[in-house]
Amino acid sequence: MSKPLRTSHTSFDWLGLLATVCLAVGALVMIMPFLWMFSTSLRPTGDSYKLPPAWLPTTWEFKNYAAVFESSVPVPSFALNSLFVTLSVTTGQVVTCSLAGFAFAKLRFPGRNILFVVLLASLMVPAQVTIIPLFIVMRQMDLVDNLLALVLPGLFSAFGVFLLRQFFMSIPQDLTDAAKIDGAGPWLVFFRVALPLAGPVIATLIIITFNNTWNAYYAPFIFINTWERMTLPLGITALRGYLGSGNPAIVMAAVTMVIVPVLIIFLIAQRWIIAGITRTGLRA
Amino acid sequence: MTARPLAHAEKRGITNWLQKDKNREALAGYLFILPTFIGFIIFVLGPIIAAIGFSFTSYDILSPPKFVGIENYTQLFKDMRLRVAYGNTALFTVLAVTFNLGIGLVLALLLNRKLPSFLKYIFRAAYFFPVLVALAYSSVIWQFLYQKDTGVINYYLGLLRIDPIPWLSSREWVMPSIIILDVWKNTGFAMLVFLAGLQNIPQEYYEAAQIDGAGRFAIFRNITLPLITPTLLLNLIIYMIGALQVFDSIQVLTQGGPGDASRSVTMYVTEVAFQSLQMGYGSAIAITLFIIIMILTLLQFRISRSWVFYE
Repeated sequence: MSKPLRTSHTSFDWLGLLATVCLAVGALVMIMPFLWMFSTSLRPTGDSYKLPPAWLPTTWEFKNYAAVFESSVPVPSFALNSLFVTLSVTTGQVVTCSLAGFAFAKLRFPGRNILFVVLLASLMVPAQVTIIPLFIVMRQMDLVDNLLALVLPGLFSAFGVFLLRQFFMSIPQDLTDAAKIDGAGPWLVFFRVALPLAGPVIATLIIITFNNTWNAYYAPFIFINTWERMTLPLGITALRGYLGSGNPAIVMAAVTMVIVPVLIIFLIAQRWIIAGITRTGLRA
Repeated sequence: MTARPLAHAEKRGITNWLQKDKNREALAGYLFILPTFIGFIIFVLGPIIAAIGFSFTSYDILSPPKFVGIENYTQLFKDMRLRVAYGNTALFTVLAVTFNLGIGLVLALLLNRKLPSFLKYIFRAAYFFPVLVALAYSSVIWQFLYQKDTGVINYYLGLLRIDPIPWLSSREWVMPSIIILDVWKNTGFAMLVFLAGLQNIPQEYYEAAQIDGAGRFAIFRNITLPLITPTLLLNLIIYMIGALQVFDSIQVLTQGGPGDASRSVTMYVTEVAFQSLQMGYGSAIAITLFIIIMILTLLQFRISRSWVFYE
């Protein structure tokens, strides 16, 4: 943490106050869309378009929330699908990325650097390049409109390997060497020495992967086309047309239900989430 | 890669070979990266090669691909819709990156001062939270806020005597609308990365400058700014690669409309490949986008040598 700059004179810091006020106004602008979402979701549908907008809830009606579940749109199965895809992808990446990250950081083998660079270069490849051949392959394997089409390509991650490698590089070589002298092979060093130290960085990978997969829109948009197999982002946006574009209250109730869990997790884990994002930012 | 040392080993007997620590370590190395490389080959490398192959064919999935030479690539230059899509994408990238980074840096500077810790906590949370919410959901909310006659934004502009703006329904305003949403959603990430960069600047530099009697602006110009350039480069590259692939917000807000006024390159690829079933032409467009992203990224690194300051 940096200490503040002390101004040469000790008069009241008007500039500082102005900056704080600006930050406060900006912060309000940032949360206003969410306030509108929440308060609209609690109002009778007739009041959705009432101006001036009431930012805070005027009534506490949960009818709109019930309406989401009473509609023909299977919102609970969106949630289960999202959960299945997200948990599978996150688990897969933790395994594949920690193994590969450790190898690239601590094991010596011919071709190590070139393979790592090739892997990293794939971060520049836009999804649209690979999605066309992937779609053709998935179609041949009869996996279109199947959640596996979303899971399989997500089980590995060049970014995750990079993240874990940067962390394992920071483990002192002495520590791994000492284990080697004691006769421990690469597997033992990985499981007994490296992995137990990697908790925080794996938590970071979990947070980032979980969030990205949970929010993913493009791949489901391409691969999924029946209601029963949609994930939340695709389903919730598709739901707009079904619940009537003239009925924002119900749509906002649905959106509120998917955003509130994110908010709760964020408020509980803010410290780790921010530390994680910061870590990935600075390691690059 | 495992093939060569293994073949070599068979001559001397594999157990003998494995007893050498170096070889055991190399074998473990390949096994450790194997799952990642299986995924990489099946889901990245293979598809890239296939996409390059398809880009020289005419292919509608239903009948086998027909080789058409470089026809798809000559088509690129004649395609007026693609030109519009590239124009929109370029405009979006330049403005979204500029505002995301500019506002993110200002926020980070404002937050990196003496502030009560609860205020710091609240501000940081408020600015960062939209980063975690799916762009698809945010777009659904903003679609209502952007409505011309019933939208909240026009209501407040009306109080300032500004006529209702057709945010999403006019050609002039649709790209600004998408950029504003993007900055609201993403600037918090840049802020966080800048904040980390600012906190990494050694405090001694500031103390030394103060002893020398440097003013606020001089300190910012000569210490903060040079030392934040590596962070700036990092943000620049992350945001540029992301912006060139903009899709979700436009798909949810306007589906590319009105007309093609907000259609991005990625949306156009998706339409060509999955609605018109022109897999060959779609691949050709996607590959040009890939090449452009690669060139711009390498260019950024090259140019950065002249402006990024390394301690």
